[in-house]
Amino acid sequence: MNLIEIKGVMKQYHAKTALNGIDISIGKQDSITVFGPNGAGKTTLLKIISGIMSPTAGNTYYNKKKYSDSDMRKEVFYLGHKTSLYNALTVGENMDFICRLFSINHRAESVRKILKEHGLWERRRDPVNELSQGMKRRLALAKGFITDPKLFILDEPFTGLDLRWRTSILAKIKEISTQGKAIIISTHLVEEGFALAKRVAFLHKGKFLFIKKKEEVKIEEIYRLFDSMGETVK
Amino acid sequence: MRFLGNAAAILRKDILLELRGRESLSLMLFLSLLLLVIFNIALDLDKESVSSLASGILWVVFAFSGILGMGRTSMAERDEEAYLSIVFSPATPESFYIGKALSNLLFLLIMECFTLLSFAVLFDFEKIILLLPQLLAPLVLGTLGFSLVGTLFSFLTTATRYGEILLPFLYLTVVIPVILGGVISMGMILNGNTDGAWKWIQMIAVFDLLYLAVSLLLFRYLMED
Repeated sequence: MNLIEIKGVMKQYHAKTALNGIDISIGKQDSITVFGPNGAGKTTLLKIISGIMSPTAGNTYYNKKKYSDSDMRKEVFYLGHKTSLYNALTVGENMDFICRLFSINHRAESVRKILKEHGLWERRRDPVNELSQGMKRRLALAKGFITDPKLFILDEPFTGLDLRWRTSILAKIKEISTQGKAIIISTHLVEEGFALAKRVAFLHKGKFLFIKKKEEVKIEEIYRLFDSMGETVK
Repeated sequence: MRFLGNAAAILRKDILLELRGRESLSLMLFLSLLLLVIFNIALDLDKESVSSLASGILWVVFAFSGILGMGRTSMAERDEEAYLSIVFSPATPESFYIGKALSNLLFLLIMECFTLLSFAVLFDFEKIILLLPQLLAPLVLGTLGFSLVGTLFSFLTTATRYGEILLPFLYLTVVIPVILGGVISMGMILNGNTDGAWKWIQMIAVFDLLYLAVSLLLFRYLMED
């Protein structure tokens, strides 16, 4: 059964069409990676899927209900280009705040468990603005683990990270997949994105060139598409 | 209960943010002191004149210092898109709004207490402290109106390119009834006409209810896109 269904979605910013006739469904244990060059519409697509942006035309459903009638916002975790963290608060306070919003019992225990799992326990008393970019992204992702959402929407989760942190974040995202959660992710990093996917999509000029099962796509094909669009990717 | 719990969590988070960053309150206190010093030097008032001008001076200081503080608290939500952690949670837009309005109310009241004390000292006008129990009603209700409107508009304007410029124009236009009510009712109380002040205090209360109802309706749409 599909968790998300997007039908005929179009998004226009004044004269520019960012998305044009997008159809996509996300199953309950799906894992989709969306590739595409800069300006293809990946961020717009993920914002629309998350519900923080409304489409100009088309329909969006969560559990067969229209977004506005559904509980999607408490069951979805969205991590965009920014970390959605309060920089002046400490690591522990950011997590504690999330626990309070979600009425999580045994807050201190839950926060300790998640921070230890994510290697952030030692930094719990440090303000977020003193963390490295990699640690911030990891903390931002840790919020998703504590709230136990049904769908993770991750927009370029590896951007600005060195190899060590990329590997670390990649491992955590793989963990999400093994827990039977749905994931949709956009990235320029072909190998990482490919490794995470059950299905692969390629977006170009606001349209899907394809959405296929991973077995039906060769990784070289993705590299070739990026090359043909004049974009060098890793 | 969950509604109140979420609003309380947001209020608690804002207090922590203020304790850590000291951005909003310290700016408000500094501006209020600066404005009072300017008024004190520029007007050079005797005791009689202070009594008639006090409420006007105070509400100008409250309004301008308040705008500055409320702009900062909504900027804290926009930085790093931190507000999305509330959007993607069981907290309703209404509980988000109430939590933010309460934290703004708290910071405004602290700034106003400081302003009243500074006013009493700078203008040698201890009467304003002696009459504080009577002044509380217009002060708290007027500040509530400020906070209700300011919370909505600060979110609306920080999302736009010229937000910081737009905020004072929109905000001051809409809170004019509350400022007028506050100036007139506090002026009456300071000049011994407590009975006459009540109809103005009631008017502020009516506007507060109106602001609350409209803001609750609009804030949901503000969070949509």
